[in-house]
Amino acid sequence: MINPRAAVCLVLLMLGGGSRAALAAPLEDAAEHYRPYMIEGIGQALAGARDLRARIAAHDLAGAKTAWISARAGWERSEVFTAGFVPELDAEIDAWPNAVVGFHAIEARLFGAGSTDALGDADELVEHLDSLHQKLYGMVLTPQGLLDGTARLAYEVGESKADGGESRISGTSLDDMRNNVAGIDFAWRTIFAPALGAADAKLAEAVDLRIRELKVIVAAPDLPHIDVTALRRASEELVITLQSASAKLGLRRPTLEANLK
Amino acid sequence: MIVRRAWIAALALGFVAAGLVGRVAAFPVDGDQTTLPPKTELNEDALDKPREVFHSEIAGARSYMINLGDLAFSSPAILGGVARQAGVSCGTCHVNGAGNARLFMPKMSTRPGNFDTTGPLFNPKANNSVLDPVRIPSLRGARYLAPYGFDGRMPSLRDFVHNVIVNEFAGPEPSPDVLDAIVAYIQDIDFLPNPSLGAGGRLIGNVSESERRGEALFAKPFPHDPGLSCAGCHTPSGVFSDHQQHDVGSGGLFKTPTLRNADFNAPYFHDGRFDTYDQVVAHFDKQFDLGLSAQDQHDLVAYLIAVGDGVQPYERDGAGASLKEINDFTTVLGTAIPAGDKEIVSLAVDTIGGELRELTEQYPDRKDTSMSGGEQQRIMARSTLKQLVLTLRRIDMAVADGRTADASADYGNYRNLMAAAVPALLASAQPWSLFNPAVHDSHYAALRQVLQSKHMPH
Repeated sequence: MINPRAAVCLVLLMLGGGSRAALAAPLEDAAEHYRPYMIEGIGQALAGARDLRARIAAHDLAGAKTAWISARAGWERSEVFTAGFVPELDAEIDAWPNAVVGFHAIEARLFGAGSTDALGDADELVEHLDSLHQKLYGMVLTPQGLLDGTARLAYEVGESKADGGESRISGTSLDDMRNNVAGIDFAWRTIFAPALGAADAKLAEAVDLRIRELKVIVAAPDLPHIDVTALRRASEELVITLQSASAKLGLRRPTLEANLK
Repeated sequence: MIVRRAWIAALALGFVAAGLVGRVAAFPVDGDQTTLPPKTELNEDALDKPREVFHSEIAGARSYMINLGDLAFSSPAILGGVARQAGVSCGTCHVNGAGNARLFMPKMSTRPGNFDTTGPLFNPKANNSVLDPVRIPSLRGARYLAPYGFDGRMPSLRDFVHNVIVNEFAGPEPSPDVLDAIVAYIQDIDFLPNPSLGAGGRLIGNVSESERRGEALFAKPFPHDPGLSCAGCHTPSGVFSDHQQHDVGSGGLFKTPTLRNADFNAPYFHDGRFDTYDQVVAHFDKQFDLGLSAQDQHDLVAYLIAVGDGVQPYERDGAGASLKEINDFTTVLGTAIPAGDKEIVSLAVDTIGGELRELTEQYPDRKDTSMSGGEQQRIMARSTLKQLVLTLRRIDMAVADGRTADASADYGNYRNLMAAAVPALLASAQPWSLFNPAVHDSHYAALRQVLQSKHMPH
């Protein structure tokens, strides 16, 4: 039996791997342009969570649900960086399925049980999002980490939602996908598109094309009307195109799981 | 013999479908945004899957057509429309060629194990506005079991398969090659061997007294209809069917089902109304006024169990079984890539990629609350499987662009990795995967716990 570590090396060697260092420096500046968007996205999630806490304290179930959805939108747009840059907070905020803390714990109470008995959970969510929000101002942003996160999220968007998806209790899995795609789009346009456009305009257009395809697909009226075959195809082709782009950008081929050591 | 007695006990308790197929109640489709109705049960998470025996593997390797047919049988794209959206393929109902006794779909089923082929969900044009589901049959030995359909209305298996795809599911017209391949695959699924059956369908070997008495009763003419007997329709042979339609008091003319491997084919009758052989025998006793004593009924059931047995009906699902199936599917690419067959390459990439994505989810990600440990092993397994999905997509893109050499190179890399590195990685992550019964139960218990909150009155 082959050693698992050796097997990983073999897989990475044959299917991925390789590093370049030609264009990485200009991307450092571009990554800084992304920081305000990160702060805004998590800021929206934090504002939504604070509103959520207030609505829960007032036993306003309908208002709490609306606030949860608003907070969730900001979070899902930010998933380009959350898993890679703040994995511990990511796990606290977005644990699944029967989380005792985070969005999905509160989702089960509000949308599942129809109860506002989640004040403690809301307090913790606000605390975690506040902590994350503070970190964003001083966090070191690496282009590689952001490309990894963009590719990971692009792959995740193509996963089957036939079972109702991640936010099935609230019925907002499609909103999650739309916000994911918006997050991918913004990260791409802000950080990588200008540099790739200069290095390889055709490849940059290929990335743009796949993102546009994803936008059209997730614009379907509801989850059952998503063209699942087209979605998966567009998602995978986008990741492949981003992998090709990584070499042109002087970056390593993006990893598909955060914290792969 | 020990195994057979265990089955008798299980049948008597009515546990066949519920107790031996899966460890825990499976996780249903749920939520407000699903293509299939909430509370649909597909039993896809069962740890024990029906064992599939291929006729061609006895003589050697499976052919390209059989592998293509197996692949198409597992592809939601073949059924098109709603099925494609919901990830439902032929194999969803006929798991490894056996019937899915746990499948239940609101609006389409009245009980687990039956399905309305003229229901409203998949093809509204085929909807007869009556909830009249039929039992999901096993396809084992189908090549011996013409005519086809619960009422035996179609002599051709090819026509039957075409009808299922195009009319029952409103799927796209399949290419002749794909249709032929599906037929070749179905015709290759053998009965599970039953060493207790000898020439002419006689019980042989270590036969109990009860089974022997049951065998005699089975052949005995009905007291009030001497022209009839159980064996008159279920002709003792390699098939135990006369291939004819009969009215046995269940509401019409229906084809005689085979008794081969029938221990694993519950529920019984055309609509799946009976869970056990005891109920079946009791029905015949009443319908034909057979005057069977309790002992007679017991003996007939013992005989049916002996006839309907099969060697190793289930096998434990795991990465090895999944990879074997995926590798069988992948051989199709070995023919389709050099031929530049874009349609088959796309079908294969979409289907195999879907299987690999499902396999990925057997290794929960780090945010899964239901488990801990093995994080790096899970990450490595997930990462590798995702890379394989992307490699297949690269192949699809290359063939579409006419870059056959690039596709062949990627295919070679893919095959090399699947030979050793990928099995090793998945084996190292197995303790923390859903293939581990403890992890499986914990994970699905967590999911059910969340969903139950949705259905509690509030």
